[in-house]
Amino acid sequence: MVKHLFKLIWNKKKQNFLLLTEILISFIVIFAVFSFGVFSYKNYMKPMGIDYEDVWVINYNNPANSTNADSVTLFYETLKRNVKALPNVIEAGYCSNNFPFSGNMMSSGLSYQGKAISNVNQFNADLDYIKILNAKMLEGRWYTKDDYLPGERKMVINKSLKEVSFGKGQAIGKYLHNYGGKEKIKVIGVIDDIKFNGDFLPTAKGMYYLLDTAAYKWTGNMMVKVKPGSDAAFEGKLYKTMINSLKNSNIEIKHLTDKIVNVNKITLVPLIIASIIAAFLIINVALGLFGVLWYNISKRRGEIGLRRAVGASGNSVSGQLVAESLILATFSLLIGSFFAVQFPLLNVFDLPAMVYIIALLLAMLFIYLLVLICALYPGRQAANIYPAVALHEE
Amino acid sequence: MLKNYFKIAIAVLKRRKFFTFISLFGISFTLTILMVTAAFIDKLVNDNYPDRKRERSLYISGLEQRGKESMNGSSLSYYFLTHFIGSIKTPVKMAFSTSSDGTNTYINDKKIAISYKYVNNEYWEILEYDFLEGKAFTKQQIDNAERVTVISDDLKKAYFGVDAGPVVGKYIEADNVKYRISGVVKSVPSTAHKFFSDIYLPYTVSKSSYKNKDYGGPFSVILLAASKEDVPKMKKEFDQMAKKIPMSDKQYDHLNIHADSYLESYVRTGNEQRSGMAYAIIALVSFGLLVTILPTLNLVNINITRIMERSSEIGVRKAFGASSKTLVYQFIIENMILTFIGGIIGVVLSVISLKLINDAQLIANLNLGLNFTVLFCALIMCVFFGLLSGVYPAWRMSRLNVVTALKAQ
Repeated sequence: MVKHLFKLIWNKKKQNFLLLTEILISFIVIFAVFSFGVFSYKNYMKPMGIDYEDVWVINYNNPANSTNADSVTLFYETLKRNVKALPNVIEAGYCSNNFPFSGNMMSSGLSYQGKAISNVNQFNADLDYIKILNAKMLEGRWYTKDDYLPGERKMVINKSLKEVSFGKGQAIGKYLHNYGGKEKIKVIGVIDDIKFNGDFLPTAKGMYYLLDTAAYKWTGNMMVKVKPGSDAAFEGKLYKTMINSLKNSNIEIKHLTDKIVNVNKITLVPLIIASIIAAFLIINVALGLFGVLWYNISKRRGEIGLRRAVGASGNSVSGQLVAESLILATFSLLIGSFFAVQFPLLNVFDLPAMVYIIALLLAMLFIYLLVLICALYPGRQAANIYPAVALHEE
Repeated sequence: MLKNYFKIAIAVLKRRKFFTFISLFGISFTLTILMVTAAFIDKLVNDNYPDRKRERSLYISGLEQRGKESMNGSSLSYYFLTHFIGSIKTPVKMAFSTSSDGTNTYINDKKIAISYKYVNNEYWEILEYDFLEGKAFTKQQIDNAERVTVISDDLKKAYFGVDAGPVVGKYIEADNVKYRISGVVKSVPSTAHKFFSDIYLPYTVSKSSYKNKDYGGPFSVILLAASKEDVPKMKKEFDQMAKKIPMSDKQYDHLNIHADSYLESYVRTGNEQRSGMAYAIIALVSFGLLVTILPTLNLVNINITRIMERSSEIGVRKAFGASSKTLVYQFIIENMILTFIGGIIGVVLSVISLKLINDAQLIANLNLGLNFTVLFCALIMCVFFGLLSGVYPAWRMSRLNVVTALKAQ
């Protein structure tokens, strides 16, 4: 049966070639949009790792200019204490400018037993960091006051980095080397992954260093956890507290809830635009397909009439036409899948293979459905052909 | 002759309304997408508010120093721009400004986010902002480090209320400092990141010290030549000067700095090996191809179908001696007519969707409009579409055998 249908298609290869190309290109477009969509959705389903509501970030520049390290430390400690003393503030702490949803990146390399691990995000944060964000420690501990004392260098790594460097094994107490391999750094804790780039982008390898007193000079951000419902009036007070201490600074207070909207837009806006354009292309293709199939069937009235005359049922006629369209679609999909499979094989764009496979299956399903819907109505039309009328025309 | 073709075309279009609808839908929607994209790009690239002297200007956004293992890129310092860029003779004016940064101000327990930009006096002379009130601050005021400011219309509305009267001479508080307003300008959309800001301040009142001798700093520069003809000369002089700039540190062996035309500066990626222009063009062309190829294939498909329907007509015409060329010509014209009708619908749809986009205010102050460039593009796209989707079916048709064509019915 299939062999026979194949022959029918092959006989009209010239006519079917364009249809085939059209389905092929639609498939590739759909595959691309679906990959993007599946990738974003998979990321969206993962937990955020932190609570970002009611967390504000204060950005300041030109920190205090003093050459005396002790007085700088004293100054910032006092400032932090003043902020914490404000009525609505629950926690406060300094951090580097790559706080969650900031869009800023700072990355560096590590090595473990001679194996290089590149592109590790480096975060600097002080003692209150995990309390402010309510981040979860999986193993070991976060920094404490004792870590300010001189001693061996320590780090907290995130789950992704742990999996890359130690696999399933124990991480606490082991040593990683910094870029170049000169310095040994002891792992004291593993923190859960945080989706730094918003809801729709994946987590990445990350390491957290304690923001020590020497770093105050080039640090420009303070994160503040406030009580729910803190309003602009309180924010104004917080602002005044900051500017009274940092007289030479430009100060800006932002809310993490606003920041996440912005970083999400970076993924969502292209996805929405791509979906709209793809939808339009698909409507276009569907209408075209419908038209062409309809026309083909009206041209084959003679053939259909003959089949009906020798006893084929209406259903088997419409079934044949639908099956023909589906076989045609299968050709396109085979060629299309050949190209699509190259993406996970060659690891283009660095997305997980699973994303491509799901997208591929979804796209195939989608194209089959599309072709089926477009072929059903013309198929029904064909089933309604009366043999006497059709054969009479010739 | 043409009139006849036109009549036939209309008759054919009316005969099979469904096919006509499919064709028109494909053409008009594709054109709408392309035109909205074109309008957007045109706005980003060609909008000349406030830099109307763009053709006479060169833009310098930053410098990059490279060594074997290190790389350092940033905007320019005051020292760098007065010492090196200030040394060339061709430019008649040099504007510099910081990129816009954010701060907050709080009035009546309400928070207003403000972006601020530090500029010099020639910034106001090179860039022609529309002053709704007052005027720019002067060199005298900058030299005296007076706390004066020019604010945007949007900020005026947010700070003083929508129906506030004239505000020149009043004070506005930003960053805990009170500035006297000397002028109000028409707002710039945030996509014009070189010029966008809510308040513009004299660079001398900047809280950070701008007097150190580093190369890196907060400023970017616009150089203005006396005339359009002087621009290449200015660029040459700049490049010669740039070659002589010593490295700021021993670890570097290359210093890259460019004085670009507006377009070049807009697409510069910071990658010295490949120009951003190539990336931009590749991206645009592949987008265009993707959006047009499917509808075109669709049209080709439909057109073939339609032509084959008319095989008896073609057979008769051929039998009476019409050459293949005449038939191809006729069919292409028919197709062009169809495409142009689709084009007109496309323009109407574009106007509607642009209006919707503008009304939705996705980006504040960004008003997209159909201008003549975009219309011209659309026209070219129509012709392109008509030819592309008409030539192959017409060729297929002209090769029909007379006898088979006549026998088919």
